[in-house]
Amino acid sequence: MNSENEKNTPWVCGKCNSKLELQKVKVTYLGGSFEVELMKCPVCNFVFIDEDLALGKMLEVEKGLEDK
Amino acid sequence: MDLDKLLEVGDLCIHPEPPVCNATCPVHLDVIAFINEIEKGDFKKAYKLMEKRIPFAKLIGKICDHPCETVCVRKDAGGSIQVSELEKLVINQGYTAPKKTLPLPKNKGKVAIIGGGLSGITAAVDLDKKGYMVSVYEKSNRLGGRLWEYESDTLKKEEIEEELQIFERQKISVTLNTAIDQSRLETLEGDYDAIFIGTGDWEEKLEINRESFMVGESNVFAGGKLAGEGTSVIGSVSSGRRAAISIDRYVSKVSIMASREREGRFETPLNYKTDNVLRVEKINKQGDYYTEAEGIAEAKRCLKCVCEDCITTCSHMQRFNISPDAYIRQINQSERIILGTHYANTMINSCTECGLCKERCFLDISMKDVIHETRESMVEKGKMPVSAHDFALKDMQFSNSDRFSMVRKQPSKEQSKDLFYYPVISYSKYAQGLYKGTGKTGYLFYPGCQLSASHSEYIGEIYKYLVGTMKETKIDGDVGMYLGCCGAPADWAGRQDLMQENIGKIKDVWKEMEEPTFILACSSCASIFEKYCPEINTISLWEIFDKYGLPETKITPDRGVLNLHDACATRNNPKIHESIRNITKSLGYEIKEFGYSKEKTKCCGYGGLVYYANRDQSNDFVQDRISESTEDMLVYCAMCKDLFVEGGKKTYHILDLIYAKDLTSAGLQKTPSFSERHHNRAQLKIDLLSEIWGEKQTMDTTNELDFSLIIPDDAQKLMQDRYILFEDVEKVIDHARKNDEYFFNPETKNYLAKLRHENVTYWVRYEENGKDVIVNSVYSHRMEVVEEP
Repeated sequence: MNSENEKNTPWVCGKCNSKLELQKVKVTYLGGSFEVELMKCPVCNFVFIDEDLALGKMLEVEKGLEDK
Repeated sequence: MDLDKLLEVGDLCIHPEPPVCNATCPVHLDVIAFINEIEKGDFKKAYKLMEKRIPFAKLIGKICDHPCETVCVRKDAGGSIQVSELEKLVINQGYTAPKKTLPLPKNKGKVAIIGGGLSGITAAVDLDKKGYMVSVYEKSNRLGGRLWEYESDTLKKEEIEEELQIFERQKISVTLNTAIDQSRLETLEGDYDAIFIGTGDWEEKLEINRESFMVGESNVFAGGKLAGEGTSVIGSVSSGRRAAISIDRYVSKVSIMASREREGRFETPLNYKTDNVLRVEKINKQGDYYTEAEGIAEAKRCLKCVCEDCITTCSHMQRFNISPDAYIRQINQSERIILGTHYANTMINSCTECGLCKERCFLDISMKDVIHETRESMVEKGKMPVSAHDFALKDMQFSNSDRFSMVRKQPSKEQSKDLFYYPVISYSKYAQGLYKGTGKTGYLFYPGCQLSASHSEYIGEIYKYLVGTMKETKIDGDVGMYLGCCGAPADWAGRQDLMQENIGKIKDVWKEMEEPTFILACSSCASIFEKYCPEINTISLWEIFDKYGLPETKITPDRGVLNLHDACATRNNPKIHESIRNITKSLGYEIKEFGYSKEKTKCCGYGGLVYYANRDQSNDFVQDRISESTEDMLVYCAMCKDLFVEGGKKTYHILDLIYAKDLTSAGLQKTPSFSERHHNRAQLKIDLLSEIWGEKQTMDTTNELDFSLIIPDDAQKLMQDRYILFEDVEKVIDHARKNDEYFFNPETKNYLAKLRHENVTYWVRYEENGKDVIVNSVYSHRMEVVEEP
């Protein structure tokens, strides 16, 4: 689900100031779960989802699952 | 859902039925497709369509007797479409020699064709293509029979000969100068699997079945004049073709007549209405043939007859380019899917369930009912996409929570005693109504959730009017107040669980209040009450205005002309239509009716929750209706007004004409956002309780904030488009600040915070400036991200 430019994101974790890293993250929807690579704070584990991802690929997958 | 019953409804739809020209054509040329290709100037494709249906198309096209022209719907509106001339043009401009095909092994059987006339040569060539060894016996010295009678400048000798060369190319045996009589026939019968007679006349009377062309119960078949086709050229070739099908089935030992009901001429159930057809005179050819331009102009006169009365008035079926029969097939398919994608979901959730389709259909096919049942079935099976209706259902939940919902009896005399002093009691009908209070609730004013959100400023005034007025009616009793949502969103979403729960609560209140008559001011409430609790007596506020007099308001004559849009939920409620018209006239306005009004009114685009499930579809409805208006619009449903104003149309709610302080601005009043709608409802409850019942309730401010939120217009628009509320944004930022959970962009100094609430994760991007938090963007997703190491 990750977009290329996220790897160089200027966003940092507000709590610990760490740089975000691309890591495998579990996402769930409608009873199904799968793993995707997303940017997250390696210390606090907060997962970063930007607007393009939420309204693009993520929405597409949500709608796809809703229609299953 | 009973899918067999559903398919029966789909079968009723005559949209796919052919036009009368096609049904009358013995070989069923697809006239509309043919005409369409001519209009496009693609004569080659038009010729291909002829070739597909008409045997020896290059010849028959020029001499066909065209029964289609005698039945053409255009006949009395400028003259029938001249298919005969168009076919000649297409042959001239689009003829291409047939492609050479690989010869089939001729091993299916042996067939003798007696008579090489129109029906005979057709049967011969068709059977040859099917793989039969065919032998033609012709008494004269050439094939073609009546074809030669048409030899002229139009149909040249060379053309006939060239087309008949197919017999040589296909190596079909032809024996000329050989007459076959009855005795010779009997000897041939044993040599061939089947025999076809197309001789025009025969010495003995043949018992020919007009459907199968079989003679008695034998292996002999007959066509052309013998089979009653008279002098019709196209009838003769059709009989030859159909007899060839029978012969193939007979020899193959399969049912001769199965699934051949519509092979010859038949009556189409399509009855195209010509009431609104404008006369256009037929195009006369200037030379021997139509020129391309003349042909195209003639083709454009074709009405392309098809039953689409429901589609032409429905923005939904237009957007999805679908007819009821195809729609029902898609629903059937979707309902039967066990594993796989339900592609029809978006379409099913884009119908406003307004019911105009049924009004337009002479067969009473109601796609509203079909789609409603489908939505309920999807919910039952857990296949309804959550995101389609989630926001609307949460809005309903809000309206039925303590934040808005309340039930109150009319304030008692004891509570109201401060109003019972002179001169108030002498002029205030409201004070008089309170003074006459009995403690028994005869009426319960139920303004509904959307009017209370869009026009909360009118609700208190209306209530006071009702308290003052209803004492004059037959029903003895006070006027109470009930704020809440009737459950229309649950009904539209197919959520019978929520619907029944909601209606149960309404019935409980009704019983507790000793069964008062509900006074309704919302069209959707009226239709929900009628559908789910017919035992509750209701009356619309509009009927009360009409019957007992309008509230005091400035009425001046000749205030102007308005296009009155009836709410689709009132389609079957003529009482409301009449009272609205009476009130409007009493207020000094002239009404200009829409072409589609009253029982044939259109939906504004809010119905069926389409506004939430498919905003583009909703906009189609809005713009369609606006485009029909020539004046400012008048409505009596809060959502109709909000959508039309949002669509750029000056629109008044009928209450604006009575209560608005500034009428001009009321017609353009900005539609409240979702957040404002919540706020308006909550504030209305607080204000009514305080002003009328002397009770205090404050806004829910349990969440003390240490910042002030600034949301610029563009961010507010995003919130509206993305179904995100002010309180959602507030919660996200508050959580981020209190728990230090956010991302930070050092380059832009922006913060990005998130919070999951129920089934949605909300994200807010913002800046801070001291205590001010300025929102830059908002978005959300439904997927849940598991945040663990």
